This record gives sequence, C-alpha cells and structure tokens, in this order.
Amino acid sequence: MKLALANIRKGKSAAVSLFIFITIAAMLLNIGLMVITQMNPFFDRKVEELRDPHVAIMMDQASYHSGYDEFLTNYSGVTKTETEEIVMMNLAKFNYGSSELTSSVAIFNAENSRSIGPLKLIEKLDTSSANDIFVPYSFKTDGGYKLGDSFTIRYLGAVYEYHIAGFLETTIMGTTNIGVMKFMLPERAFLTLADHVDDSSNGIILSALMKEKTESPKLLNDFTKRFPQTIAGETSSYVLGLDTEIVKNVSTLTINIIATILVAFAAIIVLISLIVITFRVSNSIEDGMGNIGVLKAIGYTSRQILSSIILQFIVIVFCAGAAGIALSYVLMPFFGGAISSLSGLVWLQEFDVLINFVSIILLIFLVVLVTLLSAFRVRRILPVEALRGGIQTHSFRKNYFPLEKERGNLHFLLAIKSTLINAKQNIMIFIIISALTLAAIFSAVLYYNVASDKTAFINIFGTEPANVMVNVRPDADTGDMLNDIKKIDHVKNVNLFDLITVKIDDQTVYTNVTHDYSKLENNIVYDGRQPIHENEISISWIVSSQINKGIGDTVEVEYGSEKKRYLVTGLSQSVGNLGQVAALTMDGMQQLQSTYKGTSLYVYLDGISNKDFMNKVEQQYGDQIAKTLDIDDNIETQTGMYTAAVFAVMLIVLTITVLVVVLILYLVIKTVIIKRKKEFGVMKAIGYTTLQLMNQISISFLPVVTAGVVMGGILGYFFTNPMLSLLLSNAGVKRLDFTIHLPTILLICIAIFVLAYVVSMLVSRRIKKISAYGLITE
Amino acid sequence: MTKTIIRTEKLCKTFSSGGTQQHVLKNLDISLLEGDFTIIMGSSGSGKSTLLYALSGMDQPTLGEIDFAGKSLAKFSNDQLAVFRRKHCGFVFQQIYLLDNMSVLDNVLTSGLLVSKNKRELVQKAKELLKQVGIEENSWAKFPAQLSGGEAQRVGIVRAIINKPKVLFADEPTGALNSASSDSVLDVFTDINTKGQSIVLVTHDLKTALRGNRVIYLKDGVIYGDLQLGAFSENKNLERLEKLKHFLAEMGW
Repeated sequence: MKLALANIRKGKSAAVSLFIFITIAAMLLNIGLMVITQMNPFFDRKVEELRDPHVAIMMDQASYHSGYDEFLTNYSGVTKTETEEIVMMNLAKFNYGSSELTSSVAIFNAENSRSIGPLKLIEKLDTSSANDIFVPYSFKTDGGYKLGDSFTIRYLGAVYEYHIAGFLETTIMGTTNIGVMKFMLPERAFLTLADHVDDSSNGIILSALMKEKTESPKLLNDFTKRFPQTIAGETSSYVLGLDTEIVKNVSTLTINIIATILVAFAAIIVLISLIVITFRVSNSIEDGMGNIGVLKAIGYTSRQILSSIILQFIVIVFCAGAAGIALSYVLMPFFGGAISSLSGLVWLQEFDVLINFVSIILLIFLVVLVTLLSAFRVRRILPVEALRGGIQTHSFRKNYFPLEKERGNLHFLLAIKSTLINAKQNIMIFIIISALTLAAIFSAVLYYNVASDKTAFINIFGTEPANVMVNVRPDADTGDMLNDIKKIDHVKNVNLFDLITVKIDDQTVYTNVTHDYSKLENNIVYDGRQPIHENEISISWIVSSQINKGIGDTVEVEYGSEKKRYLVTGLSQSVGNLGQVAALTMDGMQQLQSTYKGTSLYVYLDGISNKDFMNKVEQQYGDQIAKTLDIDDNIETQTGMYTAAVFAVMLIVLTITVLVVVLILYLVIKTVIIKRKKEFGVMKAIGYTTLQLMNQISISFLPVVTAGVVMGGILGYFFTNPMLSLLLSNAGVKRLDFTIHLPTILLICIAIFVLAYVVSMLVSRRIKKISAYGLITE
Repeated sequence: MTKTIIRTEKLCKTFSSGGTQQHVLKNLDISLLEGDFTIIMGSSGSGKSTLLYALSGMDQPTLGEIDFAGKSLAKFSNDQLAVFRRKHCGFVFQQIYLLDNMSVLDNVLTSGLLVSKNKRELVQKAKELLKQVGIEENSWAKFPAQLSGGEAQRVGIVRAIINKPKVLFADEPTGALNSASSDSVLDVFTDINTKGQSIVLVTHDLKTALRGNRVIYLKDGVIYGDLQLGAFSENKNLERLEKLKHFLAEMGW
C-alpha cells in the first residue's frame, strides 16, 4: 500500500487526470444505468401509486353503449372498471411552451368520486375560484406554466378562459406526445363546459384495472376486434384507446435513448481511461526500471511489485468511482427534471446501492485487467536488467525523415520525426481523438436534426411535413374541397392524407391513405416502394415481423366488415404509433369501403403564414371544415421537449470532449517534457528558442490529432445514422436518414484540431520556465 | 594584437535553496582572448561549470556584465540568448547528450540547419567534419547508442562546431571516456584550436589541461590563479607538464 501511495504521489498529474476520467465515467455510467434500470419500475410504481387506468377508452356519448362495459367487466384479468362522463375535445388548441399546441383533450370533473385515476395534485393554489383548472405536471416542467397563470382553450371557434389552480400527476394522459391530455375542472365549471360544447364533445371514458397490467395491450386489441366499427377514423365518432404499456413505451422511449447515449459515452471515457492506464503503466515501468531493479534485488517478488502497480490504480478507481457516483446523485435532480419534463411525473430519486456497486466493480474489474496486462512484463525483467535501466528499447531500424534528404522546414521535420518514434503514444491519442470526435459529431448531428433542420427527425415520426391540416366534415365533398384549396393563392400543393385503423392479418395497425404517395414529401418506405395500385400495401417492419410477412407476400386487410387481400410492396418505418403503421392508396382503401373519401387535407404553403391561411380557409369554408391544424406549430411544440433533452446531451458530450482533450494532451505533453527534458535542454543549448521547441512539440501531435479528427469525422459522417438507427430500432426505426450537416462536422473537426493545437502550445509553455542549463543539470 | 572575445565585469552567480544562499561566483573579472584554448580548473564546487555556462549564455548571471564579442549577454532574454548561442557558441558536454532518436548525421544537421540556409553546402560540410574527426561514412546513419563513447563525443564536437562558433565551450568532455577515447577527442580539440577555434574547457584532468594555452584556476568562486602555459606542442610537453604541476601545487590542488 505504501508503494502504491508513493507511486500515486510520484505521478500526481497522471493520477489527477485518471481520477477525473474515472469520475466522469462513473458519473455517466451510474446515471445511465440508474435511469435505464429505474425508469420502467418507476413508471410502473407511479401507475400503481396513482391508481391510473391500465386501459382507457374514450368515445363520444352517442357512440357509447353498455356492451363496452360488459366486455371490459367480463374480460379475463380485469379487476375493476369505471365509466365516467367527460368533455372530450378533439383537436383543441392552447399555448404550450413558446407556441400553440393542437391536441386532443379529455376534461374530467374533479369532484367526481372515482377509484381509478383519482385526482392527485402536486401543487395547488390555496384559494379556489370559478374558473380553476387542473392541468398535468408537464405543463409546469415543459409547458412553461406556473400556478395562477391564465390558461385558454380554443375549441370549435369558442374560447374557454381558466386559470391554473393546480398541477396533477398522471401516467396516462400527462404529456403532449401521448396525443391526448387530461385536464380537470371543478364540478360547476365542468358542468358549464359540458353544457356549452356540442354533443359530439360530450364523451365517456371507460377505465379498467387489470391483475397484470402487461395484459393491457391485449385487452385493447381485443376490444377493437370486438367493436371494430368504433375505431373508424371518422370525425363524427371519435374513439381513442390507450393502454398503460403503450403510454409507458412512449413516455420512457426518449429517456431510455438519452440514458443509453450516456452509458455509451461513459464507455468511451472508460476506454480512454484504460488507454491512459496502459500508457501510464508502460511509462512508470520504463521510468522506474531502476527502482524495480532495486526492489527485486532486495527481495521483492514480481507479484508484490505488480500488486503495488495495480493497487495504485485500484485506489484511484475506487476513490474516483465513489466521487463519480456521489456526483451522479448531485446531477440526478437535473436528469430527474428532464425525466419529469418528458414523462410528466415527479421523479423520486432513490439510492440504488446495487447499481452503484455494479458501476464501481465494473470499473475496477476493467482497470485491474488492463493494468495486469500492461504490467505483466515486470515478471520477465531480471533485477540486473532493471538496474542497468532495462532492456534497450530503441529501434534502430529506421531514421525517419533524414534531415540530409528531406525537404521542408527544420522544425516541422523534427516534429514529424518525434511523431514517428512514439508509435504507442500516437495510437493512444489517435484512438482517443477519434472516439471523442465521433461522440461530439454524434451529439451535434442529433441536436442539429432535432433542433435546427427537423425534417429527418419529423420524418421518423411518420409525420407528413405539410404546413396546415384541414379536417373536412364527413358530409362535405373532400375531393371538391381539395381542388378548391389548391386554387387559393400561396398554396403550393394539397394532399389528402388520412390516418385510419385497420386490421392486417388480425393485428390492429394505423394506416395512412392518400391518392399518390409520390406527391408526399415524407417517404417512410426504406425497402421496396409505397403502394401504387389498388391491391398494394406497404407495412412497417415492426408489423412485418409481427405478422411474419414481407415484400411480395399478401396480407389480409380488414376494415369494418370488409376484408381484402393486398400485396406488400414495401417496408416502412415510423416512431409514431409504436411503429405499427401501414399505407394504402385511396383506390386501395375504396376496395374496403367504396364510399371512402377521406377527411384530412394536408396543405403546403408558400408566402403566407399558417395562421393567415387557416383564418382564410375557416372564413371561406367554415361550414365544410371540422378543424384546422397548424402542423408547423404543433411539431415545434411537440419536439420542444426533445430539443431540451438533446441539447443537454450535446452539452455534456461537448464539455466532456473538451475536458478530455485538454487532460489527455496535458498528460501526454507533460510526460513528453519530463522524458525528453535533457534532449530539450541540449536543443536549447545549441540555440533552439522556447517557441521553436513549443511548436515542435505541438506540431508533433498534429499528424496524429489530424488523423484522429479525420477518422472520427469519417466515422461520424458514415456511422451516425446507423448508430442512431440501432438506438431507435426499439422505437420502430430501421434506417435513419438524419441530415449529416457537413459544415457542422467540419466545424467540430476544426474546433477539436484547433483546441488540440492551442492546448499543446499552452501545456508545452512549461518549457519556457526551464533554462538550457536547468534542463541539462536537473 | 589578439582580440578579447569574452570579458566579464563583477560577474556574480548566486543559487538560493531552502532559504539559504550559495554564492558560487563572486565578482569575477575575466578576459578571454580570441584563438585561445582556455582551461578552467578548480576543485569540486569552485564554480567552474557555473562560470562556463554563464560565459556561454546558457545561464543568466545574478549580477555583473558579460561582454561576448561586443554583445552584453546580461541584457538578453532567454530566446535572444538561444539565437545568440546558435550563431556564436558551440557546446560539448561530459555526458555527450546526442539526440538518441536521430542518426549521427541528423544530430549534426539539427544544429547546422538552425543557422545555415544552404542545406547542400551544410551537409557537405558536416560530412567533411565528421571525416576529419574520424567518423567514417558507414557510421553516419548510426544512432548514438551504436557508437563508442569516443566516437559519440567526436560527433558531439562536430555538432558543436558545425556553425563555426566564435567560442567552443566544453564541460569535462573526456570525463566519461576511457584513456584511448580521451586522447582521440583531445586531438580533435587541439586540431581545431590550431585552426583558430577559440575554446573554453572545464576539466579536472591534467592531461586535458595540458592541451590549453591558458589555465584559470577557480577557488570559492573567485579566480585564484591564471597561468599562461603556451601553445600545446608534443615536443615541449614535459616542460609544460612540470609548469602546470607547479602551478596547481601552488593553487593547493
């Protein structure tokens, strides 16, 4: 132990660098593992704690009949059901974050007695008033609201003014990405609202609890099979079913992806630490060869010497690991905030001893393994060899860049010479710079696509990036309306683009319908093609794997009472609707329902604001239009939560990248200066200036830094999409086409390169303090 | 009339360590002449090497003036000193200090290319000098560790004189060599001095000291004795040896 502590004291800066690396790695690893392992149980605990429904089915009161209750009550595994009147607003509008969100809303009577999903307020005002409203917690964490703020709902031309009296916690309708949000009103306000809205907005919610909540998707699926006519995508009979497993997947997906990125980045930092340890062990054996000789000569065994080498790293890793874990608990509230923002639930941080233990043991195991492998040559060194300074390690095979023959600047040539003779060190820097550049590019590409150029990000949700959606009333002629809107000024294009639910080989699948897929801007088919003819269909790869059918196979599609067989022409991908999507042409859809004409028109605008266009259309065709939706605004609001989370990830990755580049170069250059002290002294003596030597040191790292940056850049350019695809594969993504913004990549590469050069120059400035005389005589 | 090449005035060098000060050089006034082969002798700790490194601009004096070929070194910054050294000073060290990872020729060129712009001429000159000191062509691509001590030190001398320095400084250049190697190295010093090269050499060794024409003896940081020994000549060696021995005996050596 004394030897180990002496070794640590001897190489203080290396020990400090390693300490920092391991602290960062342990912190990221612990946070990532805690989030990954705790997220699902956390959500499940919340479902139980809040007594939220395992299945919730909403419909307008006209569509409701007691058969639904009977089905749910008698369904095997259901332990409790409740039926409650609600106000159901399909596509209500309200402000959320910095923009207006259009979302479905389920408004409950807060004073109703219920045992499923009772009101649980996290915060509330002390006083009550007639226009109080209780909104999900995500309105506070993500939507920018606070208690007492006014809150306006715009629905079917009417405006409903409230003020926020409390934030409620719910697992099932608490965030914008679920598609429906849960509000609660005091009884008087609820009854007033219910009287005011049209009949189709007076709804019913059926809630069920099950013995095994994992059975909830099956229950919902069986419900839609049993009552197929209820989920027909018709605006007059709006039905929405949610099960807790789907909601859990949607709510935890982004969080789990972020946690996976953190663990992956932790793995990179661990790799860097292991490389640093290898470098450090190798250096300390070479530098301490005399000491090893003395120790061996006085009777220390190789095992004792090895133990002292390993022990110093175990001491560092244990202390740094503990510091990292402590730090992870300091930072967890920050991640807890992100989790609350993405899930709408209050994150309760727990002390997870097992994960902490796993994190430290994993790090210690890897460090001991690498240290042993690097230090094993100590066993082969004889005392006499060690006392003589070890076996000669210089290679005399090649004098790289002989000055006599090579052209070019002397200092550049000397720098390149020193680059070429430090192969091990160069490999280490190359790997580290490549890995860091790749990580930095990965995070920047992710952020660029989520925050800046959102096209590809939106595409993976299967959203068609039009500007405005016009929802036509069922009694209006959609075709005429489409042609009329096309003629309006500033309208570039209009497509009919419906989303309905059909059954494909007995699986309930969300299916798009349009006239001609080539006219859409977002083609989600990655293999094969979208359907062209009436007997063709494309299905997502998740559906494909569920029904075990692929391109060239035929599938049976059921809609209402009709069934037809279709040829699968392509495989698609989508994060939306859990990746269970398909696509039919309008002609194909009409094979199932000859009167089908669709209701959703997607309008692409140029030179007019979405709001102005929506006002214009509403004024012109008010009686034929059910709703209009600002798609851009909606996308902006819904991607806001991802932007913040991805920005945090990018910030962490870039900060750590800078820190690691600085530390690695500091460590390596300091070691270089110590090892080559006499050489630099001689060079100073024969007339080299400090600046020339600093430049030589810095330039000697440039080739390997350049190679690392270029390799990282190339890997980032070609492998960011495959890596993200892999990360998002659980969510339904098979092949990702995120924009790889070359200027961003170049900027990152140049920034890392410049950073490395500046850091090298700054660190090598320590040569200035040492006189030629001092260098030689020290 | 022989020109003074280095002149010091009240040269002091003090080292501080742990709160105590050690005055190594005390108000030294010294003049070194162009073309001389000056030997600096003295017991351990007398300040020989400190004086050598101060005179050569390798270290800054604590006080006093050093006039080197009309330039006041005491006023130079470290980088100005570096530029001055590359043009006007050559160094030969006891531990030789060739650059381990460079070939013999590259070791010489590393110094030469700092000053010379004509690479072809320089390479030619380096090769000639190497030949002159007895390093044949088959050794030019070797690394320092592949040379004998004497060979390595002769390469060190070539590296030191490649830029035609005004003064060649040598700090116990034969201290780490065996007798045969010492002789070959000393012959090189004598040879280049005969051709006009000014040399200042620190040594403990009588045989080495005999190569000089002037011997300065330092004691406790001051000049204790200054002997004009006359130019080295094999014929008069015995006479010079007796003179030197007598001088050193007087100095209490």
